[in-house]
Amino acid sequence: MSELDRRDFLKIVGLSAGAAATVGCEPPDKLVPYVIQPEEITPGIAVHYASTCQECPVGCGIHVRTREGRPIKFEGNPEHPINKGFLCTRGQGGLARAYHPDRITAPGVRGGDGSLQAISWDEATAQVAAKIGAAPEKTWILGGPVGPSLTGVIDQFASAAGLGGHLTYENFSKHALIEASEQVFGVSAEPLFDLSKSDLIVDFAADFLDTTVELEGQFAEARDLTKHEDGGARLIAITPRQNLTASNADHWVPASAGSEGVLALALAKAVAQKKGVSLPAVEGASISGAVSEAGISQGLFDKLVEKLASAHHAVALPPGVASSTASSAGASAAVLLLNVVLGAVGEQITYAEEDAKKTASLADVMGLIEKMNAGDVDCLLIHDLNPVYSLPVAAGFAEALAKVDLVVDFAALIDETTELAGLLMPDHASVEGWGDMNPRQGVRSIIQPTLRPIHDSRALGDTILAIGRQMGGAVASALPEGTWKSVLEANWSGTNWRQALARGGDFQPTPTRTVSVQSSAGNVRPAPAKLAGAGDFVLVAYPHSYYGDGGGASLPWMQEIPDPVTKISWNSWAEISKGKAEELGITFGDVIRVETAAGAVELSALPRGGIRDDVIAIPIGQGHTVGHYASHAGDAAYEGQSASETLQRGVNLAEILPAATDEAGGQAYLSTRATVSKTGRFRRLALSQWTDNQRKRGLAPEVSLYELAKGGGMAHFAATAEAAESGGYGDDHGSDHGGEHGDEHGGDDHGGGHHFEGPPFEYDPAYDANPDQPYRWGMTVDNDKCTGCGACIAACYIENNISIVGEEQAIKHREMTWMRIERYVGDGETDFTIGGDGTERRPWPDGEELGKNDVRHLPMMCQHCGAAPCEAVCPVIATYHNDEGLNGMVYNRCVGTRYCANNCTYKVRRFNYFDYGNKNWPGLLGMMLNPDVTVRGQGVMEKCTMCVQRIEEARQTPKDEGRPINDADIQAACQQTCASQAMTFGNLREEESLVVQTAKAGKNRAYHPLQILNTRSAVTYLAQVRRDENGGH
Amino acid sequence: MPNTTSSNEQSGAARRRPLLIGALSALAVAAFVFWSGWPTPTDGEANAAAGGDVLVATSVCEAHELRAKQEDDPQLQIEIPSEFDKQWPSRSACQSAIDAWDPTTEGPLQPIPFSHKHHAGEFQIECLYCHSGTDKSQAAGVPSVELCMGCHSQFPAEYDQIEGIRILKEYWNQKKEIEWVQIHRLPEHVQFRHNRHIQAGVECQNCHGDVAAYDKLPLVEDSHIGYLVPVAKLEMGWCINCHRQNNQQASQDCLKCHY
Repeated sequence: MSELDRRDFLKIVGLSAGAAATVGCEPPDKLVPYVIQPEEITPGIAVHYASTCQECPVGCGIHVRTREGRPIKFEGNPEHPINKGFLCTRGQGGLARAYHPDRITAPGVRGGDGSLQAISWDEATAQVAAKIGAAPEKTWILGGPVGPSLTGVIDQFASAAGLGGHLTYENFSKHALIEASEQVFGVSAEPLFDLSKSDLIVDFAADFLDTTVELEGQFAEARDLTKHEDGGARLIAITPRQNLTASNADHWVPASAGSEGVLALALAKAVAQKKGVSLPAVEGASISGAVSEAGISQGLFDKLVEKLASAHHAVALPPGVASSTASSAGASAAVLLLNVVLGAVGEQITYAEEDAKKTASLADVMGLIEKMNAGDVDCLLIHDLNPVYSLPVAAGFAEALAKVDLVVDFAALIDETTELAGLLMPDHASVEGWGDMNPRQGVRSIIQPTLRPIHDSRALGDTILAIGRQMGGAVASALPEGTWKSVLEANWSGTNWRQALARGGDFQPTPTRTVSVQSSAGNVRPAPAKLAGAGDFVLVAYPHSYYGDGGGASLPWMQEIPDPVTKISWNSWAEISKGKAEELGITFGDVIRVETAAGAVELSALPRGGIRDDVIAIPIGQGHTVGHYASHAGDAAYEGQSASETLQRGVNLAEILPAATDEAGGQAYLSTRATVSKTGRFRRLALSQWTDNQRKRGLAPEVSLYELAKGGGMAHFAATAEAAESGGYGDDHGSDHGGEHGDEHGGDDHGGGHHFEGPPFEYDPAYDANPDQPYRWGMTVDNDKCTGCGACIAACYIENNISIVGEEQAIKHREMTWMRIERYVGDGETDFTIGGDGTERRPWPDGEELGKNDVRHLPMMCQHCGAAPCEAVCPVIATYHNDEGLNGMVYNRCVGTRYCANNCTYKVRRFNYFDYGNKNWPGLLGMMLNPDVTVRGQGVMEKCTMCVQRIEEARQTPKDEGRPINDADIQAACQQTCASQAMTFGNLREEESLVVQTAKAGKNRAYHPLQILNTRSAVTYLAQVRRDENGGH
Repeated sequence: MPNTTSSNEQSGAARRRPLLIGALSALAVAAFVFWSGWPTPTDGEANAAAGGDVLVATSVCEAHELRAKQEDDPQLQIEIPSEFDKQWPSRSACQSAIDAWDPTTEGPLQPIPFSHKHHAGEFQIECLYCHSGTDKSQAAGVPSVELCMGCHSQFPAEYDQIEGIRILKEYWNQKKEIEWVQIHRLPEHVQFRHNRHIQAGVECQNCHGDVAAYDKLPLVEDSHIGYLVPVAKLEMGWCINCHRQNNQQASQDCLKCHY
């Protein structure tokens, strides 16, 4: 909170007693009560308001948790039909926008020297109105996707003023999918998917687990082992690189990039033949052509056909952004036809009655760029979009922008586009203004302000209305009366406004229409990807789960939390196959030059096994040159971080992607080949997990359905215990203990070798300090459900005021995260050495193999061990065990010896090497900190507390009512946000609690990592299940 | 979880009342009043003495004082105009307001000469009437200006002769927040729950001292830590002593307060 003085603090919130308390041992502070205390606010008690997440166009419902008028956390709205109470990593991070140091604090006009001068709202409005009035047909609006009411106001203004046009552009557009639906079913709409009832999901590079929280929840439901003894839905992922979706798949088919459509049509033909379905549209497909195009074996193809034909509720998902080619619509249409053959249409796939709203495609935007270049655009109004960053540089937007007289940007945060705009009229931040969203027909979601505007910003709706009124005459009279809020309310007049505010919107079932295959479907002929340029590699530009189209890069947590697959943070990297890397002499961190027809970028390489040899993959979203977190601009402000010479953080793929489009005009991201060469330089990347090898320690074991069905399970664990006992786990001893064991221990539910009696997973009060206490807090984590998305990590960061450390500290492994998701491939190997005799230890993910899929995700946080190694070594008893089984960490007692971290079995303790907590929240960001959690200072240790502040809060009402705390009273932050519901938290002493019931239901899969060390952990894990052939259909 | 969905129908703007930058100007008002002359009951007397033998009261408070003086000294000639010949505000109210701003006693000057002795002592107003929410929330409620005005707006005009009430009304008319100087404060690494203590029957006075005995709350310099502290220092030893004595009810677990 360095830059936040008390005066600012007072300006922003009329806060009261509790919130004003600051660090002790300082001169007297002030208590500032409200002038008029709002009825629903009691200082010290959080209030939740329902609203809508605006980080992406999906439209998830959120509850904004506020304290004394400040939003401090976003949580999913359980009533919302899209996300059902869960929230993704990006959604969690949206909180920082309002307090962001990048906020544009007041309207500004760019002077002749390029500097921003202050301007009043009235003057700015008058300037814009005059400019538009002079030549309305030469004025255009280019905006991002916003809600229906705001779009309505802008459209009304555009048509009343007779503007050249209003383009609503989305970087990741759905044009191809809508075009495909038009072609196959004659409906101009996006299909809606429901995976929850499916038994086989084929992901044609849709990468659904990488991107949507809604489908993630449905996927978890379809695979819930308590509901599906056969293991539920199987997932086949067809994608050239092992992304998060492929990591969670039962089968990964690494077909060549861009071959999805051809493959889908061939599969449709083969499955139709096998099932005896007649569908003329697919009969023209060439199976042999598809097999060779996809680069898979005929045997694998036949196996896919077999699986698809034998499934009862199979569904196929059409290609996403990463494999959008010039033939995207054709590919999507082919997948839709496959769904017709599978019988998924009307079941897993439905269409809303309403057509999709028309939005602008890249082709339309390029049309606008042409007009700009021709001098036909005098004034360009830009909102909710950063085209200078996100449009392909080859499209020439920035150059064209220079030819526009007046560029007005309504962005709330500075970005590459605001830097080039002549006039800034800042919008409110997402939590400051009103709005609505209409994610799908029947679902209307409301955005309500939860924070009084901090800066001199104005809602975009009001700004547009003001400009229109300033223009006077017919324009003014054509616009609705009143403020933007009253326009919004009028749009909601048919609904119960109060109820909508309370629930977060108006949620009706989506009316669907029946669709049938049209004759135009016969024309569906997906073409293999058309790739520009030359080179050995296909450039796969994939949307990063956290950065999205680039907007997420400005959020501190999206930078700090490692990528769920590669575990890299704070920069761009290029994924290249191990084989190719060796061939080119590239190792991890070597800077390589990736050159395409459109340009070249240089970035560090990450060799990995899980990627095709002909692919070089780079995530979209980094490479900003503006922004405190998005670029290197803020680096010098972090503790322990040196200033950077360059502003650009990572690389912007827009620099090397051609402005290619698909049949529907949407951007084709898979559109170019690339050459890769070594530069000879090295740039270290912040890699949080240096190996995917769990060295047969059974950290994240796997059991097969077959073993489970036999009543066994945890065979791997038994093997591990024995291997460890004989010294097999560890470094130099080559071990032959792993793997061959199992059956002889299969019936034993807690494993164990001959001499060692491992503690059972079940809770045993004898482990505790005080068995008389009514509570022992613990968790059950189902690895089988965990997809590794990392939303829990973001929730944990925000709930617990965990510091951001920056890239340099992250490289030194000083990240402060209280929980991480470990990603392992297989059971690992013990027979390697560090240097020396033959096998070499490779310090990066190394276990992946193309087409093989054995990825294990292990969420790891403090285990609150019953016999905690950390407690015994603390010289000042700053860490200790409390009566309720929590491993306490008393910050004010800690003197920073770090003995505890050294002795921690699970490496979950984090040390404040610098004063990250007080120094690394620039500007007003300190105001979003949770007042219930101490901000840790320099020199103290910290770790997961199992949300002890939530426990204490949850204790209040039950104590007043004289009843015990039950499951309904409490949820840990990580548990709350998990779309897969992989985590449960609660009282281990309560038989009926969810945490005990879940552990019991997963009895044969239950284990504690490193149980052999007898730490008596309070976290029970349920092993991942291999849904093998024997266990399933 | 409690409070999971407590949205309401109020508009956002209305919900978060316009907040005023007020504190600075409030202090300026206080400073002006302070420097432009300490109002004492003898002002009127002095004026009167300069003009003649009869002391003329210029406010109700002064009238109380003159009457008291006359009782001591029956020779004293006083004149109390009828508009100041009132029972209310009482003499003690007048005196409390003066003592609350007495620069010679220990403790910081608050922006308003507010007296706990007058409100909680003389009039026996329950602590929780003004500090509402303290029994429900971890934080102690500090009354809003609106709450003060709830009573004070009903008083007749002559109450405005009391400095504290006059300033209070200025705050209210300008809708400014009052920046009180905090007396009792815990370090940031301590999480304290007022509601639990109140519901356990702990008297407010146990920790906050007998505030009802003070017109001006004392905050004294502690040579050990070099800062001003309340008379009861609220250190951990103080907390834990009480928790030990009530060990059936009160926890001595570190995590109860430190997280």
